[in-house]
Amino acid sequence: MNGLETTRISSRVILWIALVLLVVLYGFPFLYMLLTSFKTPLETIAVPPTVLPSTWTIENYASAIGRDGVVASFVNSVVTAVLSTLISLVLAVPAAYAVTRFRTRFGRFFIVGALVMRMVPPIVIGVPMIAIFRNLGISDTSFALAIAHATISLPLSIWLMSSFFEAVPEELEEAAKIDGASRLGALWRVVLPVTAGGVAVTAIFAFLASWNEFLFALLLTATRSQTTPIVIANFQTQFGLDWGAMTALAVLYSVPVILLALVLQRHIVAGLTAGAVKG
Amino acid sequence: MRLTDRRFAFLLMLPATVFLAVFVAWPLVQFISDSFFEISKFAGGPRTFVGLDNYVEAFTSGDFGNAAWRTVVYTVIVVVFEFVLGLAVALIFTALGNSSRIFRTIFLYPLMIAPIVAGLLWRFLLIDNFGIVNQLLTDAHILQDPGQIQWLSDPNIALFSVAIPDIWLTTSFISLVLFAGLQNIPGDVIEAARLDGARYPTILFRIIIPLLRPVIAVALILRGIDAARAFDVILIQTNGGPQQSTETMSLLVYRTMVRFGDPGLASAMGTIYLVAMLAVSVAAILFIWRPGSENQR
Repeated sequence: MNGLETTRISSRVILWIALVLLVVLYGFPFLYMLLTSFKTPLETIAVPPTVLPSTWTIENYASAIGRDGVVASFVNSVVTAVLSTLISLVLAVPAAYAVTRFRTRFGRFFIVGALVMRMVPPIVIGVPMIAIFRNLGISDTSFALAIAHATISLPLSIWLMSSFFEAVPEELEEAAKIDGASRLGALWRVVLPVTAGGVAVTAIFAFLASWNEFLFALLLTATRSQTTPIVIANFQTQFGLDWGAMTALAVLYSVPVILLALVLQRHIVAGLTAGAVKG
Repeated sequence: MRLTDRRFAFLLMLPATVFLAVFVAWPLVQFISDSFFEISKFAGGPRTFVGLDNYVEAFTSGDFGNAAWRTVVYTVIVVVFEFVLGLAVALIFTALGNSSRIFRTIFLYPLMIAPIVAGLLWRFLLIDNFGIVNQLLTDAHILQDPGQIQWLSDPNIALFSVAIPDIWLTTSFISLVLFAGLQNIPGDVIEAARLDGARYPTILFRIIIPLLRPVIAVALILRGIDAARAFDVILIQTNGGPQQSTETMSLLVYRTMVRFGDPGLASAMGTIYLVAMLAVSVAAILFIWRPGSENQR
């Protein structure tokens, strides 16, 4: 509630109409994809196009799931996203803690470095990575892709975790240390439990960054570790333009994370605004 | 021996530092060093030092200049549309107060969708002959026939059309961030302005936007960086076409590297792209965001 909220009935009515229109515009694309995925393959490319399916069918879902590599790609997406989230958290949590608590010169250099790395276009580091993973003997594995994805999520995680640690009063650790806890013990048993919400937010963003990533997956995976975004993109060349199966697979891939967003809404908003609003 | 705080802090940062050095800095160094070599497209082929030849070739090729210009245009389109739409939505949410909560949740959902899916989806919506957008526009008598606008196959408008999914995906980010910022504006400032007889546009441009400046700056810089790096969303819609009208820097570097198999030239182009990105972002951070300046609230 602040000075910008309007109470005049006429303005509120106009604003509600504008908002509903915007939401319809905003929601329609995905709704249309959802409806299309239940049409027959022939109806998906009908001229003129229809909004509602004339016959509802799950044929597209059956054909999408039945294709070679589709189920495996889902497993790969989950494994890669979980691995890269873990890598990101394990590295970001201690680093962000050190940056916010011990304000050393190296810490300042480190946090600026992390910000700079957020600006590097992935295409620039993706190609040299191919050779690095080949030399490490982990080409075309989910682990290699998870490492690549962690190069995106780690700088973000460091920034997010720093802003969450910033909010924890230092007296908390002082008290723990007086009680005989080591510095590491204070971080592990006192600070981390208080910032559990922040860790969860960071984990969600790291997971999403990997789940939705395309370019590294394109460069670094072949058949064995390829993730679903690659399979979705391949639908258009490999099998002609099969919009029905493609929309079905896109729905299957997006619905879990959309549900996640609705359930964890508050956390996601907290993460999106953490870095930016504090400035 | 007890560790000093400085050593302890260093040890905590060490694993992340090593990781970033090995998997970001080292590939970066290799990429930049590649730009000074003529490299055979076959693995294990010859690699000859050519100095700045690749840079000369990049700067003199029309493709490079065009792609750089398109990247700028694409970024400006995305950021301007997202800012205007995002601010409008944030102001509506604020004006309606708590009753707009459900809609804030609905607005969140595109942020979860993969750019590749968004690109495909919009390609499907905008496709020439059976796209639903043109059909609905025709039904509404805005278009005479569905083929009138060739969103993705008319080179004059394709760069704008490919930006639509990007705008659709992340306007929510801008509105949520600005909405959070708006909640921090003290109500009495607005009240005082109202009592002085200030109209809404005056309040918006003289009070709200100046007060929100740091928040706006961060949001726009983050989005600008992402838009300038956009790859998958464009690749899946047009693959850079028609007639290269949507080929931005990311796509040009990718095409030169992977399709044409000229890693040396691609690296030179990518290095210039990288340096330009860093220079523009650092300038933006210093001059627009101005962290720590007295303007900050």
